[in-house]
Amino acid sequence: MELNTFVTEYGDKQTHHFTVTETVYKGFQLSSGDMNPLHTDESFALEKGFLGRVMYGNILNGFISFFIGECLPTKEVIIHTQDIKYKSPVYLNDALLFEARLEGFYESVKAVEFKYKFYNNSEKIVASGHIQIRLL
Amino acid sequence: MDKNEILTQVQDIFRDILDEESLVLTHETMANDVDLWDSLTHIQLVVEIEKHFKTNFTSKEIISWKDVGEMIDCLKDKM
Repeated sequence: MELNTFVTEYGDKQTHHFTVTETVYKGFQLSSGDMNPLHTDESFALEKGFLGRVMYGNILNGFISFFIGECLPTKEVIIHTQDIKYKSPVYLNDALLFEARLEGFYESVKAVEFKYKFYNNSEKIVASGHIQIRLL
Repeated sequence: MDKNEILTQVQDIFRDILDEESLVLTHETMANDVDLWDSLTHIQLVVEIEKHFKTNFTSKEIISWKDVGEMIDCLKDKM
């Protein structure tokens, strides 16, 4: 797909809903092997001042992977760079709204940059960052 | 800005993107001379250079560069 077509079809921003289900949580735990008590021990997390087990922050990177791989106007893309800043903890069964705004595009190398935010049910930003992709 | 000043700024961008703090670029440096300068990082380099110098290249310009010096000539022409 040509860059201009991609930009036109994408528009200013796109959104997607994700939920950190038990399956998502367990799936990430299995693949990462991270058994830190903050993520696995309810009483430990409560003792540290959280509302419950804190979900793995990198689950959100998995959601970004889905968005880039499955939700764009073309599947002929590759992620070049990605960063993330965590603002608030995410808990089990939190429903998140993902919003990715088109921040820039570079015709010379068919690259596109997005600025993204994840919002929780309270419309609070739980994470934000940037993604740079290239159209293949 | 003269070509050596541009080279210094381009070098800073290369060092950041390639995580190679000691990298030294010259006008004659080619992609084959720099270990991590491959097709993926090339895109990141071009994007950061376009952003830094607030300019846009064309795909033809990028393909025509044989070394860093030609990239800098191209940048200089756009200033």
